[in-house]
Amino acid sequence: MAADLLELVDVEAGYGRAALVLRGLTVRVPPASVVCLVGPNGAGKSTVLKVASGLLAPRGGRIVLDGRDVTGRGPQSLLAAGLSHVLQGHSVFPEMTVGENVLLGAYTVRDKVRVAERVDFVRTLFPVVGARWDALAGALSGGQQKQVEFARSLMVSPRVVLLDEPSMGLDPKATATVFEQITRMRDAGTAVLLVEQNARRALEIADQGCVLDLGRVHLSGPAPALLTNPRLGDLYLGHPPP
Amino acid sequence: MSLVFQSLVLGVLMGGLYALLAAGLTLYFGVMRVVMIAHSAFLVLAAYLAWTFTVHTGLDPMLSLLVTVPLFFALGVAVQRLLVARLRPATLTMMSVLLTFAVALVVEGLLGFVFSGTHRRIPLSYSGARLELFGASVALVKLIAFGLAVVTLAGLHVLLKVTRFGQALRATMQHREAARLLGVDTDRVAGFGFGLGLATAAVGGTALALDSTIYPSLHWHWIGPLMAIIVVGGLGSVAGAAVAALVLGVGQNLLQLPLGTTWAQTFFYAALFLTLILRPQGFFGGRLAQRF
Ligand SMILES: Nc1ncnc2c1ncn2[C@@H]1O[C@H](COP(=O)(O)OP(=O)(O)O)[C@@H](O)[C@H]1O
Ligand SMILES: [Mg+2]
Repeated sequence: MAADLLELVDVEAGYGRAALVLRGLTVRVPPASVVCLVGPNGAGKSTVLKVASGLLAPRGGRIVLDGRDVTGRGPQSLLAAGLSHVLQGHSVFPEMTVGENVLLGAYTVRDKVRVAERVDFVRTLFPVVGARWDALAGALSGGQQKQVEFARSLMVSPRVVLLDEPSMGLDPKATATVFEQITRMRDAGTAVLLVEQNARRALEIADQGCVLDLGRVHLSGPAPALLTNPRLGDLYLGHPPP
Repeated sequence: MSLVFQSLVLGVLMGGLYALLAAGLTLYFGVMRVVMIAHSAFLVLAAYLAWTFTVHTGLDPMLSLLVTVPLFFALGVAVQRLLVARLRPATLTMMSVLLTFAVALVVEGLLGFVFSGTHRRIPLSYSGARLELFGASVALVKLIAFGLAVVTLAGLHVLLKVTRFGQALRATMQHREAARLLGVDTDRVAGFGFGLGLATAAVGGTALALDSTIYPSLHWHWIGPLMAIIVVGGLGSVAGAAVAALVLGVGQNLLQLPLGTTWAQTFFYAALFLTLILRPQGFFGGRLAQRF
């Protein structure tokens, strides 16, 4: 069996003193593949990504990145290890230019030549980044802002990217662009852990899928098989079978 | 007509000083969502330190900045680390008002204890000097205060726009979690943001002391207008606060002609209420304030 790039094993996590949100959850992301997490609102999908990127420390379980145990490390350390995370909703720096946003993606990269190479790379992959380089990021449309966020997250040449509901609030055309770009990231060798409300659409481009509810994975497997699984509808509507 | 022009010139000079006095407030709010009531108490503290310095050494009060700027920077980092960072995030903004209110009382009490309540004024050889400026007659000290404001704000602007630290600070102000995910140590940056805010208070307090009588409770006179400036400017926007300060400074000075000084003061509060009713995100700030 090929080694997975990112593994979350039996993860337990929660906020403050409140009850656990993730209750023994396991998700594996193989290299250069798209793994899609779906589930109803409040199921804990964003929490999975926050634990994986070090924003939230897990209370139990292990996080393994590229064979190394990285449990309990912060975002800086995980970023250095090749993981980036695009948050749910708008997360550009609205009062900074598109260029400043993208260059901040390389905040931890000191090698100027490498930064220049990456800028060229993301400008090719996301034409709007080059076209609106000097515009304030907050002035862009929702879909364009998402592309800036994607570009920013790719500046460190990550090996795995976590995307939290990237199509949220976008019109159909912008949504199509976002999904196409996710496929291209995967084809360029980056693994993607994708959270989506738009479950069918996401599973159509994903390699693997996991259905999450109440902090546990209830169903997982190859995406095409999940799409035709009659239980998907039940689970996705938030009624897990006993 | 020349009276109006005179008021206009004085208004610009005063607005520039207001911009400097308010700059720190936008930084604290920007990095921590903290309403720092004690800012003007630190302005007065810096003014007293400048006064002490000049009275004891006979040197120009501006030289005291060599000591007070680094001292206030360190003090700001300490206030953030030891006090503000311990507040619970959920109630931070509200609790910061109470906490910094208490800090203001402590600073005022210490000033009263050390310097007594006597009104003080820095003895300056050039305090009576006046200059002609585009035909308006302007006190030299006002011009120096304005110059200090311009130099400090320009320096702050360059720091925020050009340096790596400035980029990290602005990113932290605009989206803290996203900044953390890019590898920015946002706790450290927030501490430096506070330090920077208090460092501007060191310069502002010294500029203020050049042309004012100072006493320990003077800060209550200032906190209202300064809060009005940052709300009108758009909370957390340094440039917005500067524009608002200029507009309000000019407006206040022009209104002094028909209304007199006391009523002209209310212009700040009128502007504050109008802003909160018509455009709570502020007039000159950007999208940042809309998120809150
Ligand atoms: N910052 C937070 N503080 C406290 N509770 C939170 C926080 N974020 C999320 N939660 C809670 O955790 C649960 C899962 O949230 P989340 O992971 O955002 O779900 P999803 O992304 O699947 O909609 C919800 O019950 C939510 O109320
Ligand atoms: Mg979510």
